[in-house]
Amino acid sequence: MTASVMPAALSRQPVLGVLKKKYFATRLDAAVTVLFAAFIAWIVWSLVNWGVLDAVFGPNQGDVCREDLEGGACWSVVSTRWRIVLFGLYPFEEQWRSGIACIAMVVVAILSCIPWFWSARRLPVLWVVGFATFYVLMRGGFLGLAEVTEQNWGGLSLTIFIFAAVSLLGMPLAIIFALLRRSKLPWIARTMALVIDTIRSLPLLTIMFTFAIVMPFVLPDWAIGDKLYRVIVGYALFFACYQAEIIRGGMQALPNGQEEAAKALGLGYWHRIGYIILPQAFRNALPPTINQFVITFKETSLVTIIGFFDVMASGRAASGTAEWNFAVVEMYVFVALIFYVFVFSLSRYGAYLERRLGVGRR
Amino acid sequence: MGNLIKGLVAAAAITLATQAAHAQVANDSRLTTVLERGSLLCSGHNGSFLGFAEVDDKGNWKGVDIDLCRALAAGLFGKSEGHLEIVPISWAQRWPALQSGDIDVVIKVSGWTQSRDTELNLAYSRPYFIGAFQVMAHAKLGAKTVADLDGGTLCVGAGTSTERAAATYLESHDIEAELLTFENGDELRNSYYEGRCDGQVEWAPSLAAGRVDAPDGAESHVILPDVIALEAEGIIVPEGDPDWLDVQNWMLSSLWFAEMEGITSENVDDIRANPPSETVAKFLGVSPGYGDRLGLPNDWAYNMIKEVGNFAEIYDRNIGAGSPYNLPRGINALYNAGGVFYPMIVD
Repeated sequence: MTASVMPAALSRQPVLGVLKKKYFATRLDAAVTVLFAAFIAWIVWSLVNWGVLDAVFGPNQGDVCREDLEGGACWSVVSTRWRIVLFGLYPFEEQWRSGIACIAMVVVAILSCIPWFWSARRLPVLWVVGFATFYVLMRGGFLGLAEVTEQNWGGLSLTIFIFAAVSLLGMPLAIIFALLRRSKLPWIARTMALVIDTIRSLPLLTIMFTFAIVMPFVLPDWAIGDKLYRVIVGYALFFACYQAEIIRGGMQALPNGQEEAAKALGLGYWHRIGYIILPQAFRNALPPTINQFVITFKETSLVTIIGFFDVMASGRAASGTAEWNFAVVEMYVFVALIFYVFVFSLSRYGAYLERRLGVGRR
Repeated sequence: MGNLIKGLVAAAAITLATQAAHAQVANDSRLTTVLERGSLLCSGHNGSFLGFAEVDDKGNWKGVDIDLCRALAAGLFGKSEGHLEIVPISWAQRWPALQSGDIDVVIKVSGWTQSRDTELNLAYSRPYFIGAFQVMAHAKLGAKTVADLDGGTLCVGAGTSTERAAATYLESHDIEAELLTFENGDELRNSYYEGRCDGQVEWAPSLAAGRVDAPDGAESHVILPDVIALEAEGIIVPEGDPDWLDVQNWMLSSLWFAEMEGITSENVDDIRANPPSETVAKFLGVSPGYGDRLGLPNDWAYNMIKEVGNFAEIYDRNIGAGSPYNLPRGINALYNAGGVFYPMIVD
């Protein structure tokens, strides 16, 4: 007999018992429990009051919010100006393109989380198709689509684009860096170590600023490219240096026997790396890798300092007018919610991967 | 023979005259670059700056600085649509972006300071806005000037130039008011709203923005006219480009000239069809000269006024009476209305 088929009357007793034993065992316990329950209830009640019961939801109701002096949240700012947060300064009539591009990117990211796509052939194809769709839709300039330069990309679409591009450029770079750092030739290993340590000792903000603003003075004209891509390259380099150290950590956790056994079997360098070392290194390094992705996603908002309208800057612009300047908190809550949805899904996916790969158990 | 000489002299005189009328714009001037490119790259904001660069519901820029960008583009190309790109940049980015050519001109409420003017290789136009530090007080106190707050308390940001300026002002005007300092801007505002102080000292446009959002309504607060300290905001172009700088100065002058002459975006067509004076006729491009000398079309001022209006219209629409900020023109008015601005002579 399992618990699920027990009659309700029988199962209720133990629950009460457990409650009493754990939370109301002594008078002090009871007092603390009641106090904390009341405190939490009060916080939840205030939040619900502010965010739901007293809140104004419909679009274009700024005046209602203003008159409602002791009132709750003014979600009207979000329902009126959400398009700025999602699409930034992208031309209003063309925003459907930015929307589809954004969805396409998210779908590609979700698909690549499914194990079926984890092959050296399917994954690159998937991402190339994803990026091409995104670029064609966002940039336009043919098939009757009006051209929209990178200058005007913005909002959530831009944040996701930067994140995806940095991860995809940075990951292979990180593997190369990690392998070079493990090189048997000391001058290669030491140079790589120097490069990694140098870049790691610079703040991300400095690197972005250098790539966006100082590079045009230094580089020849043909190599300048758009500011957006320069920043992505700089950020990818930064990402790669951190990720390389994470991967190296994963490699060092492997017993020497693994590589020696592979050598004894007569496997060449690339086979050893590709089939023996890297898969196990990645499994070992999964928790810090997910961590690195989360940080990377959140730090994309630093691009606002070089004049990009990422989701954070767009949020500030959305509440930064005479009509909505009082609703700054609501706008920040909305932007935080967007970040939460993405970062939380990323973390949950990481947890799923850890279970699936048995990290920590094998 | 005599006729021939007369003819030659006349021809030479005409040639000289036309050469004088068509100013030589240097080939390496930013003006040439912009005209060849067919669009102006003007500074925007990474986010918003209330009243000067905001984003409307449809994601279009608006504000005083944005309108000046539009005026400039309209003057150069006849209309700004399709000829103006507002490039979003941060505060820190504005000087390098100007030097590298990411933008052609910085119109971004930037104060004219000595170090910027000399060390950073920047050239300032004449100021177009005087950012005054003023006092906002509770309306129920009935204060008309700062002197009426004698014996009261003023809230001010700690360690800022505002604090120093306010202390100096109080001392020199013999006003006995206590200065209460705050590290944090929000804390300062809230303390003021809660009545800790009778007035708060801040940059006037920020005061106006804060007044709109006051928890007890905008009517409960007044911004006193006394000016505690000033910051002159100008348009900035790279040093050593006089042709491009001339265009900025004459754009601003034109906007004030139109205001002085009562030319608005609405009546500009009528006035142009029937100019009241030879000066106005020249200004609107009915008779030639006003644009040629700068290397621009002669009707450039007409195009600017047609698109954004004169300076009063720009001010009212964005931060003045026609906007939610309702910031009085004060020191930013023309000289004949109590301000410090004036047009230069159109001849």
